[in-house]
Amino acid sequence: MATPTPLPDTIQRNIGVDGFGGELLSMFLAAFLIGNIMLAMTGVAGPWAKRKITAAFTDRIAVNRVGPFGLLIIVADAVRLLSKELIVPEGADRPAFDLAPIVLAGSAMLAFAVIPMGNGIQLADPETGLVFVFAIASIASLGLLMGGYASNNKYSLMGGLRAVAQNIAYEIPLVVTAASVVLFTGSLQLSEIVAIQQNTTLANVAGIRIPAWFAFVNPFAFVLFVVANLAEVGRNPFDTPEAPTEIVGGYQTEYSSVYFVLFYLGEFLHIFLGGAIIATLFLGGPAGPFLPGFVWFVIKIWAVFLFTQWCRSAVPRVRIDQLIEIGWKGMLVLSFANLVLTAAILGVTGL
Amino acid sequence: MSTYDEPETQLPTTEDGDVDEDAIADLLGDHVLDRETHGNAEAYVVRADAVQDVLSTLKDDAGFDHLSCVSAQEYDDRFESIYHLKQYEDPTNEVSVVVPTPRDEPVSETAEPVFRTADWHEREAYDLVGVQYDGHPNLERILLPDTWQGHPLGKDYNKDKPQIVTFEENKNPLEDHARGGEDSDTMFLNIGPHHPATHGVLHVETVLDGEQVADVNPDIGYLHRCEEQMAEKGTYRYQIMPYPDRWDYGPGGIINEWAYARTAEDLADIDVPEYAQVIRTMSAEMCRIACHLLATGTFCLDIYGDFTAIFMYAMRDREIVQNLLEDLTGQRMMFNYLRLGGVVWDIPEPREEYFEKCRDFLDDLPEKLDEYHDLISENEILQSRTVDTGHLDPEIAKNYGATGPVARGSGIDYDLRRDDPYGYYDELDWDVITEDGCDNYARLLVRMREIEESARIIEQCVDLLEDWPEDDREIQSNVPRTLKPDEGAETYRAVEGAKGELGIYIRSDGTEKPARFKIRSPAFSNLSALQEMSTGEYVPDLVATLGSLDVILGEVDR
Repeated sequence: MATPTPLPDTIQRNIGVDGFGGELLSMFLAAFLIGNIMLAMTGVAGPWAKRKITAAFTDRIAVNRVGPFGLLIIVADAVRLLSKELIVPEGADRPAFDLAPIVLAGSAMLAFAVIPMGNGIQLADPETGLVFVFAIASIASLGLLMGGYASNNKYSLMGGLRAVAQNIAYEIPLVVTAASVVLFTGSLQLSEIVAIQQNTTLANVAGIRIPAWFAFVNPFAFVLFVVANLAEVGRNPFDTPEAPTEIVGGYQTEYSSVYFVLFYLGEFLHIFLGGAIIATLFLGGPAGPFLPGFVWFVIKIWAVFLFTQWCRSAVPRVRIDQLIEIGWKGMLVLSFANLVLTAAILGVTGL
Repeated sequence: MSTYDEPETQLPTTEDGDVDEDAIADLLGDHVLDRETHGNAEAYVVRADAVQDVLSTLKDDAGFDHLSCVSAQEYDDRFESIYHLKQYEDPTNEVSVVVPTPRDEPVSETAEPVFRTADWHEREAYDLVGVQYDGHPNLERILLPDTWQGHPLGKDYNKDKPQIVTFEENKNPLEDHARGGEDSDTMFLNIGPHHPATHGVLHVETVLDGEQVADVNPDIGYLHRCEEQMAEKGTYRYQIMPYPDRWDYGPGGIINEWAYARTAEDLADIDVPEYAQVIRTMSAEMCRIACHLLATGTFCLDIYGDFTAIFMYAMRDREIVQNLLEDLTGQRMMFNYLRLGGVVWDIPEPREEYFEKCRDFLDDLPEKLDEYHDLISENEILQSRTVDTGHLDPEIAKNYGATGPVARGSGIDYDLRRDDPYGYYDELDWDVITEDGCDNYARLLVRMREIEESARIIEQCVDLLEDWPEDDREIQSNVPRTLKPDEGAETYRAVEGAKGELGIYIRSDGTEKPARFKIRSPAFSNLSALQEMSTGEYVPDLVATLGSLDVILGEVDR
């Protein structure tokens, strides 16, 4: 399958403006489109669904008064949060305190640029797409540390340090596991990874072709990646950086109003980004029968989101030392074992 | 009565295991100045400088290893501290040690080296009454702010003068040395008074070494509502009973009321009809289930994080118990259901319908508890979080006067419902739950298994009540409208609350109001052991340990 044309080029061809100005305009339009899609998902549908899902798990009803199914409560919440007083603690390290939420939300938004969402919706398709995604997503740790450190609050500091310790411990298994996918596909380009997964046939069961989605090829790597991703986005059982019952809210303790919205949004963006990466690397990206690619892609992201919410409701939080131990002594070893085994099997079978 | 299997110490007991009062007097020898007889036990008046001698003799040679309570009070001519001692082996064996001190110099020797639990109890006595304890390691105010003037339960205290406590003067009452100073690599952290995990307004002053707890000091008193003083202002018959509901609002209201009822009935010699005792037993066990469900749910909240499934499940099932209690008492938390000599009214009509509801609840309970065990106690992450954390040795637990599920989680087989029977408990078939783990997990299991035992008790009570002959349903005995116990009568009685031994000391001065009303809160003593349990552990374990102690601050601060 040929690499699809990136979205800006499609737009430029359709609006028919040539030259540098046209390129700029179409890029801006494409970014605007993708940005809005993601914001609508993470900023509106995400928090609403989170409430509804958690409520379903915990025997409650949740929001149902404002608008149909309580959907408009998100609007009310947005107005409420944005109109609240922005309290900056005394002695906060100003530029860092202000930048942290922007870094967190921005890093996740930026990483969506290279994700192929199906139906040609992809901003850019660099050859090193996978590296770009991980590099950009990791900047989030910087945002968390900045926020925690600049808040001039001991709980925030502990949360920030926990976040960094955790992200470093789980970033490596995450990347190493992703590398085993790259061994299989032989390319770092995300559109290529998706195409190879979809076009290779794993098996034919009763006449239905099962594509070689990497989750089917190597379920072990899939599980490893999903677990490491839970730690990466900081959800139970790995939500130690926030841990409301221990360190109040961790790095976001001192954030209020707009900054809190950005932090909250950033977290949701990261959960959805995690879902997008999992979908791309392991679930064949936007591929799927009958429905358009983009719809499949959204379904896959939401499936991962549902899974994180499920964990959040049902799994206890591990202690910080246990978390680090699981990361360095368990996940790291397993992920390298997976990488070496995958390499060996691929080398022997010559796939 | 229990027998002792330690022949090397000759315990001053009679052949059937009761306290041999004269033998104790002989044991204490010259220290005894006088003897009094309290409602619950023989009291020995001792010199103020011989407290440690007397208490360690009683502890080591007579087996009184449980300092249940220290009640201080002021008379016209003297201060008095009463040490209420019991035996964990058999709490019906009690003695009281009375330490009088002159009004102009109320100094007596501290009991803290003998019983660690005396630390907090004596601080409270100093704080509220004004007795000073010589040699006490940290004789500071405990319930009131540091800047408070005077001792509110003393006779000289001006109750009409308002006092303003400013934030600036009290904002960080920890001494500098505990914070480690400039070149220390420890960090001082205030956990609370407003913190998601302190279950109320508890302030835990914590010194951290990285993520590890180097030292903790619970700072209580934020919810002090002068409950003792309010009770002293009320008449026995009617005005005191609503207050106990406000101590352990877990909701252990009826158990709290029973503590008062038991003491006052003992003081004024009131009989309770058997039928009322069965109703009391049933409703108290409903309260216990509600308390334990709340404790289990919030403990899991501390471990899991957000408002998760198990917390809501516990709340859902607690709701059913509360509905049953509401049908019975008319209230959901502030029951005010017990009366001296009985209960206020009978089972709601139609009785069959109420019993049916009870049975429905009891029938569903085993299934729900199985679900809890699936979700909580069999969860490997939860086990790895709770097993071997918050360790409390039985000896340390006894030293701190720990009771209730906290003591039983450390393998101490101590339950007043069985050991010092009251109500209808000794007629019923149930077991005392103990676990030997001494850790947070053991305490969790004790609570969950106690729910089953309470359900057994309720079931038997329902059976009894259903078959009770209609002409014999006496809910209250005949109690005079104005109750005036004999002047000078004093007694200390305890019941098994959801958190442990809930004791009340009352001294009567012949009027219709108590001259001294002292509450022994189980959570108060249990909480004082927090430092032993959490030092050297991680912050998350400190939070979990606090949750496993199941403190209700309304009961701690009173």
